Amino acid sequence: MSVDDSLETSAEHVHTATPPLLVQTAALSTRAIRGFFRQPQLWIPGIVFPLLLAAVNSSSLSRASLIPGFPPDTSYLQFLVVSVIVQGVMFGAIASGNELTTDIQNGFFERLLSAPVSRPAILFGRIAGGWVFAAFQALLFVGILWPFGGTVRGGIPGVAVLVVMAVFLATAIGGLAAGLGARTGEPEAVQGFFPLVFIFLFMSSAFFPTALMSGWYGTIAENNPLTWMIDGARYQVIVGFDLTEAAKALGISGVLALLGLWFATTQVRRRWRVAA
Amino acid sequence: MTRAAVQPIEAEALVRCFDEIRAVDGIDIVVDKGEIFGFLGPNGAGKSTAVRVLTTLLKPTSGTARVAGYDVESQADKVREVIGVALQDAAIDPLMTGKELLRLQATLHGIPRRLAARRAKDLLERVGLTEAAPRLVGQYSGGMRRRLDLALALMNEPDVLFLDEPTTGLDPMSRRNLWEEVRRLNREYGTTVFLTTQYLEEADQLANRIAIIDHGKIVREGDPAALKKSVGSPTLRVDVADEQQAIAEQTLQAFGEERPSRVGRVSIGLEGGAERMADVVRALDEAGIVIEHMELDSPSLDDVFADATGRRLEGAADAEEPAE
Repeated sequence: MSVDDSLETSAEHVHTATPPLLVQTAALSTRAIRGFFRQPQLWIPGIVFPLLLAAVNSSSLSRASLIPGFPPDTSYLQFLVVSVIVQGVMFGAIASGNELTTDIQNGFFERLLSAPVSRPAILFGRIAGGWVFAAFQALLFVGILWPFGGTVRGGIPGVAVLVVMAVFLATAIGGLAAGLGARTGEPEAVQGFFPLVFIFLFMSSAFFPTALMSGWYGTIAENNPLTWMIDGARYQVIVGFDLTEAAKALGISGVLALLGLWFATTQVRRRWRVAA
Repeated sequence: MTRAAVQPIEAEALVRCFDEIRAVDGIDIVVDKGEIFGFLGPNGAGKSTAVRVLTTLLKPTSGTARVAGYDVESQADKVREVIGVALQDAAIDPLMTGKELLRLQATLHGIPRRLAARRAKDLLERVGLTEAAPRLVGQYSGGMRRRLDLALALMNEPDVLFLDEPTTGLDPMSRRNLWEEVRRLNREYGTTVFLTTQYLEEADQLANRIAIIDHGKIVREGDPAALKKSVGSPTLRVDVADEQQAIAEQTLQAFGEERPSRVGRVSIGLEGGAERMADVVRALDEAGIVIEHMELDSPSLDDVFADATGRRLEGAADAEEPAE
């Protein structure tokens, strides 16, 4: 090393201040998004499976739209648009949230803890990575289903509601997955929780209107918050943009997002409680 | 107290318990500026726990520790700003490239973009990873990961660099390359290094000063030469014909206390060390003894460890940690 280099290095040896939460969160979420898209096994199922299910259901259950009680002037595929988005987001957000468990397992979590990184940025950076994928999924699904009859009658405002709902839902599910990962440190534990989320989805109006359900199943579906969220979002697709229905969809998904964040925060805090 | 006057590391009566186990049991450490301080001990001795306390990953159960003048408990954020840490197993995201990781590290430390780019370039050159930098870390060998880990730890030009068993699992060549890099950054940049290791040779080669830890307690501390000297005189072994053994023993008694040996060999603790070798040879020659083989073994750090703990460290690490 030359003397000049040495002097330059010495002059540059300044201890910089810890950057703001937003900057750190952005850097960590960029990392999360990159890492997520570099693992096709994590994101391909979140795109392929919901579309596959929609294709199978819309062809086998297309006549369901003729049953009295089914929303009028609505194709079954149109009815499914919101369900496809919700399913896809669930697949993606679980995988994305579970990446925090991988960080814990491979020690990267500790690397972050030993750096001047604000603690919430570690969690938010991971969950925010899921937002981008959720928004991407919502737009992709709308774009793919639209030409086949899955028209969103609410237009751009309607699509915007679907995108924001997807982001909120990704926060809720991603938070739940990240929280479970932080608590157990085991990716398998998070994967094991996956079917429960889908049971919750199946017991909602995701695939059939609650008006056509009966007995205990119908009662559960009618009182399932996912039904309220899905119905509010579905209104944007099959009827048109409506502020009240949009508020219902975004309100429910927003509350779920807050619950997910709360759970993740408490669990992650529990894990780093030992650290200063 | 000015920043220049503070000790890089000071710990007093530091204790860290896990339930009933006292992993770190009242240790005192003072590391001077520009020093490579070796923390030597077997697996489970408490080395990594001590490092985790000093790097703010664990809170001490009792006692105090200051790094670069900042308290590890009450000023943990400040500590994290001025340290570089390379923990065991090179915790590196395999889905990122070396370049991306360095950029992320720079952002998290608030290093301006242009300066970060310059430092990344310099660090990659220093650790010999310039060509590999655009590749995903998942494709790196163990040695390359360790070198990248070192570069990441140096990104913020830390006041104190913590290396927790940096060469465990590496092949001898990678191990030596890493040693050279640590020496170089200490020599050229004056970086204070706190190094934990279970390898005697590593501690001997790198550290200016060593603390031997066992069962959470520091059992010996000092510079390697002084520690070895403290164990006693070097062992002189002289192989002679069986019929000359008695006279050889009698001749060598003048140079030191006899030590246990096999038939055909006379061993003594040579008082005065290597400087007296010429006298020994002369005396044996004058006594008409034919020397078949002669060797002088200086006390090793393993002897120091054995003297302090009654156990040997030599070979234990290799037996437990297969090379890469």
